Amino acid sequence: MTEATVVSLFFTVRVFIVGGILLILPSIMRKGLLFGAYIGETTADQNAARQLRDGWYIGCVILMVLSLLVGLGIAVAGWPVTGNLTGTAFLLTGAGVLYLRWYSKARKLAPPLAADQAEKAVAPLVPGEPKGAGLAKVALGACLLASLATYAYAVGSYQDMLAFAPVYARTAFYKIILLPSVNLAVSPFYALLALLTANAKRSLRGGSGGGSLEAQDAFRTINANIFSGTALLMCAFMSYLSVRIIRVGPSEIRTLGLEIIVMAGMILVFLVFNLVRIMKRYGQGGALIESGSAEAPLTNGIADNARWIWGVFYVDRNDPSVMVEQRFGIGYTLNYGNPTAILVLASFFVLSFALVAVAVVGTQLGGG
Amino acid sequence: MLVLTIDRALEDPVYRQVADQLRRLVASGELVPGTALPSVRQLARDLGVNLNTIARAYRLLEGEGFLVIHDRAGVTVAAPAEEIEHSARAKLLDELTATLARLRQAGMTIDDLMTIVQIEVLAIDGGGKENEDD
Repeated sequence: MTEATVVSLFFTVRVFIVGGILLILPSIMRKGLLFGAYIGETTADQNAARQLRDGWYIGCVILMVLSLLVGLGIAVAGWPVTGNLTGTAFLLTGAGVLYLRWYSKARKLAPPLAADQAEKAVAPLVPGEPKGAGLAKVALGACLLASLATYAYAVGSYQDMLAFAPVYARTAFYKIILLPSVNLAVSPFYALLALLTANAKRSLRGGSGGGSLEAQDAFRTINANIFSGTALLMCAFMSYLSVRIIRVGPSEIRTLGLEIIVMAGMILVFLVFNLVRIMKRYGQGGALIESGSAEAPLTNGIADNARWIWGVFYVDRNDPSVMVEQRFGIGYTLNYGNPTAILVLASFFVLSFALVAVAVVGTQLGGG
Repeated sequence: MLVLTIDRALEDPVYRQVADQLRRLVASGELVPGTALPSVRQLARDLGVNLNTIARAYRLLEGEGFLVIHDRAGVTVAAPAEEIEHSARAKLLDELTATLARLRQAGMTIDDLMTIVQIEVLAIDGGGKENEDD
């Protein structure tokens, strides 16, 4: 099998995975939500909403076919990598445009009643630490320790190498330090997201909150656990690989191909398995396991269209929640009006930039 | 499942809505003495309101003797005093008398006042049954 065939195969699989998720999303959303807009539980059952959903399915299929034609067409013409990138960019851009178009249509269906309902919030009188927070704390501690230790080991190894073979070491700096840097920025960040997800706001339905609460708690816990698991797997993968690269020597990275594929494959399988599990068993926000409460109106900010930009970005300065349930997608999103959320996001970008800058500047100073 | 509901569209401030509902739940016996309540942070997060709003409601109820705020163990429902002290009882009755007098002065009839008192007492006693039905 040629490299071009493998690239095209991966591209085709990616189109089907992304397209498949886009196709499934409307059917696993909480009742009352349609393409990022809250239209109310009654309107969600009406013909206008159904027609909108049908239009979305057709739009997604057309987008998948066009993406495959663009990507594979360019690949057949002799540029498989360019075809892969162009086709993927076409798919993602198209999905964004399609979503915004359908969001705009759904907003027109939102009755005034939905806006009144948005003023209401419901909270259960149940104390205690949220489930999933314990594992998230363990993951955060483990990821911080492991990624810091790996980074320190990489810096120490580089200094030893510099003393032993200066010319060789200088050209290898970024190869040694880049992966530990990515590990240090990404793994603890994922674990932090797990902790924030475990503490995310529960969007309950009005009236009897029992079934809605249990569904929310189950959904929140599984999401937090997936983040914790991903953080631990990624940290283990990148820490192991960082050490292996130093041991075999940066010029021999290609010899690690099989190990990289196996470990990356494990993370991919973990993510895909859990994604399918969420979509099949829980639904977004626990929509598929809400017992007998799906007819009661949604509350707690998720129902307030005014607090959502394009149905994607939640902005409420008065809301102490750092994370809230997504309106169209799977899992939770940040409250961009909350200073803590902004701090978390900014810290991630600043740390990532600083670590990459150290790798690049270090290599240049070393003459690499 | 006991829940708190707030409505920002109402004129009543949110802290008072929270305090009123908790007071009723305690008075009706649905929240028994010693029951732990969610932390200020947790309740604020679930309701999407400022931390100070919930803290204010909790402090108000602590002042009224409905809740106990512990340093580390969180917030619990206070145990009722075996017998209200004579002075405390007199003070509460004075407050009730003053409130009724103000309402009477504002033009409410005796019948209206009797109805209000009756509704409030029934709400305290019947709150539990309504929630059980849910």
